[in-house]
Amino acid sequence: MARTGGCGYARGRFTLRQGKQVWRVLVVEDDPQMREFFAASVSRCTELQLAGSVGTVAEAKAWLDDDANTVEVLLTDLGLPDGSGLEVIRHATRLHPRCEPLVISMFGDEDNVLASIEAGALGYIHKDSAPDDIAQTILEMLGGASPISPMIARKVLSKYVSSKAAAPVIKKELAELPRAALLSPREQKVLELIARGFSYAEIARLQAVTVHTVQTHIKNLYAKLSVHSKNEAVFEASRLGLLPPPA
Amino acid sequence: MRLFLRLRAWACCRPLPESLGAAFLLRVLLVWLCFLPAVQAELLELHAARVTTTVNGLVEQRETTLPYYWDRLNHSQPGEATFEVPFAIPDKPTEPYGVYFPRVGNTAEIWLNGVLLSRLGDIQTADRADYAKAPQYVLIPAQLLQQDNVFRITLHADGGRRGGLSKVTVGPEEEVRDIFAQAYRWRVTSALAVVVFSLMVSVMALVLWMTQSDSGLARGFIRDGVYLSAGVAELCWVVRLSDVALVHPPVSWLWWSVVQAVAYAGWICCAALFCHHVAGWHRHASMRWVRVVLWGLLLSSAPVAYWAQTQHQDWYLTAWLGFSSFLFIGYGLFYFGAVLRRPTRERMLVATAGLLNVMVGFRDWLMIRVTDNFDAVPWIRFSSVLFGLALGYIVISRFREASAQARELMANMAAKVVEKERALAASYQQLEQLAREQERTAERSRILRDMHDGVGSHISAAIRQLQSGKASNEQMLQTLRESLDQLKLSIDAMNLPPGDITALLANLRYRLEPRFKASDIELQWDVDLLAPLARFDDKAMRQLQFMVFEALSNVLQHAHASVLRIELRGTPGGGVQLRVIDNGCGFDPQRVQTKGLGSLRERAAAIGARLQVSSVPGRTVVEIVLGGCSSPTAAR
Repeated sequence: MARTGGCGYARGRFTLRQGKQVWRVLVVEDDPQMREFFAASVSRCTELQLAGSVGTVAEAKAWLDDDANTVEVLLTDLGLPDGSGLEVIRHATRLHPRCEPLVISMFGDEDNVLASIEAGALGYIHKDSAPDDIAQTILEMLGGASPISPMIARKVLSKYVSSKAAAPVIKKELAELPRAALLSPREQKVLELIARGFSYAEIARLQAVTVHTVQTHIKNLYAKLSVHSKNEAVFEASRLGLLPPPA
Repeated sequence: MRLFLRLRAWACCRPLPESLGAAFLLRVLLVWLCFLPAVQAELLELHAARVTTTVNGLVEQRETTLPYYWDRLNHSQPGEATFEVPFAIPDKPTEPYGVYFPRVGNTAEIWLNGVLLSRLGDIQTADRADYAKAPQYVLIPAQLLQQDNVFRITLHADGGRRGGLSKVTVGPEEEVRDIFAQAYRWRVTSALAVVVFSLMVSVMALVLWMTQSDSGLARGFIRDGVYLSAGVAELCWVVRLSDVALVHPPVSWLWWSVVQAVAYAGWICCAALFCHHVAGWHRHASMRWVRVVLWGLLLSSAPVAYWAQTQHQDWYLTAWLGFSSFLFIGYGLFYFGAVLRRPTRERMLVATAGLLNVMVGFRDWLMIRVTDNFDAVPWIRFSSVLFGLALGYIVISRFREASAQARELMANMAAKVVEKERALAASYQQLEQLAREQERTAERSRILRDMHDGVGSHISAAIRQLQSGKASNEQMLQTLRESLDQLKLSIDAMNLPPGDITALLANLRYRLEPRFKASDIELQWDVDLLAPLARFDDKAMRQLQFMVFEALSNVLQHAHASVLRIELRGTPGGGVQLRVIDNGCGFDPQRVQTKGLGSLRERAAAIGARLQVSSVPGRTVVEIVLGGCSSPTAAR
């Protein structure tokens, strides 16, 4: 599931430009200046190619619905004039399962970021990042380095650890869901250290692992949160009688 | 006869086991055949008699016509009489006869053809038993009867108690008994039925009177009057009517007569009171006089009855009854007229009952007291039932009214409760809204202050830098970045769990990470995971955030340090010790009064933190100690 570094990408996921691997990027941002800025940042990077840039949810959906368009990276703002960027993320992952969504966030505040992760986002980029940093961050995230702030780590811990303790019945039900839905002890430990403010490098040292392993944990965590939120929705729906119970 | 012969023949032909049923049928048939001539026989009503009377030792013999009304003919004097009543029948009957006396007594011996048929009491003893009140029936065996017969009836009559002999009816047993039974029902059984009814009404009324006395209803006392008068009236009526079935009185006849008179007076007086109460006149000033008249009537009844008995002057009682009758006819008419002017169903019912009763009473007085009608039965016992029914109606309608009121009351109470609940909910909502508004105001002021201290001050600094034209691009960028950082920190502060210093530092590090990276300073992170500090609210968190930010900014901008160490430790007293240590050039905290240091002290004072700044070249320590026993937190 996780891409383990610069080599070993699945074949056919990207186009080749002058022999290099290139990711096609769709930018969804309502502020024209910002859109321009992101588009320029993407265009400047040789490993990224600007596939399109639009300003609303409707335009984004229309663009994604067009069979002529293919996309590997979706860079979307959350606060769009006609809806939430989360809609765009869901639409994109449904139509283009291999598309990696990234969220543009002004503050990287925990509620928005967590919602994005649960919707399937690979990571988030601050609006005030420097132009070169943006392309770099995108590539890093594609390479497996998803960011996570101490606040988000704390939120994830309180949401997924305490809710398990608080509701044993639900915990039992959730335990029957795919294994990926729950945090492993090691992932929990990593999250705790992040919540205490330690950097990936420091965590790697404390846990006697490589930075790359720490990143993998985070990446897995992202996937689990996304799957978990989907499972939770399914579980909730079947509990409410909206779906038949799994055979 | 042909039928009879055929039956006989049929019976003889039957085998033995069946002959028993046949014999029964035969007997029935024979009885029927024997009755045929008797049915055809006339009932005899005997009027002619020869009487021998002994009054005060004076013996007199004469022919007379029945009925013989002793009191009328002998001026209510006691005495004895012997009646010889002859009668003839065409054939000597084979079946028994019966004889019916509507009235005979007070005590009597009945002889037929020299044979004693029946003894009603002891004719030798005066003023003991009284058989004259109820009709009498005597069976005559068939063998006693001849074609010419004579009844000899010896009786003793007490004065003034309707003794004597009525006409005599004689005939075949069954028919005479039917006539007797009918008369008995009419005169005795009906009276007993009324006694039972009146007793029930009386008990009900008195129970109501006792239980409803302190009901607390607006008209409670009025109801008491209605129930009491009705109860007493019916009780009097029970005493009065029970006399019909009495042969032996509980006291001597003299006193029993007085009791009877008083009971009758009590009944009419209480019935009048009942009418008065129903009309609501008892509150009127005239009530005093009505009371005087009624008491007078009641009390006068006793001496009148006594004198009438002892002096054998029955007309005293007749006059008293006549006076009462006329008095109440007047009252009844007046009452009816008054009720017609302001009619209610209750009053109309009572007025009708009252008027009917006084009319019937007058009729009874005329028939029994004034005329010589010896066998008359008083009707008032039947009309009196109307009072009981009227009372029943009143009770039921009042009960219905009361229950309707209760229902209304319940509905009102329920409505009031709902209203109160609504009011309570509204006031709760108001309180909640007030609390929310207060919270919002506090939040707003916090945000305003935050903007003023953080983003606002940085943006105004950037504007000044732009206006002065002296600042470099790099400085401008730095100010604006700080402004955005402040904004992010401000947002983070909203989400930080209050008192969680570890989270605060972690978040600060995350936000400042790009700057640490840019500054080439080695960051040593030595932060323990501590439990959130009690009584350390979000405002204090923001103050502390500012303080640490200030300290770190100082290091980054002015210290020229290569190592920055951030330490967080718990103190034994439950507080925390936060230290920012750098190996930069240092400064003299006593001499150098930078703006940053001043604001650091102010904020420390505001949150009750102990701030200690020590600096020598190569080691500057900013120490903030929070909470714990040694330094109580005053977050506000």
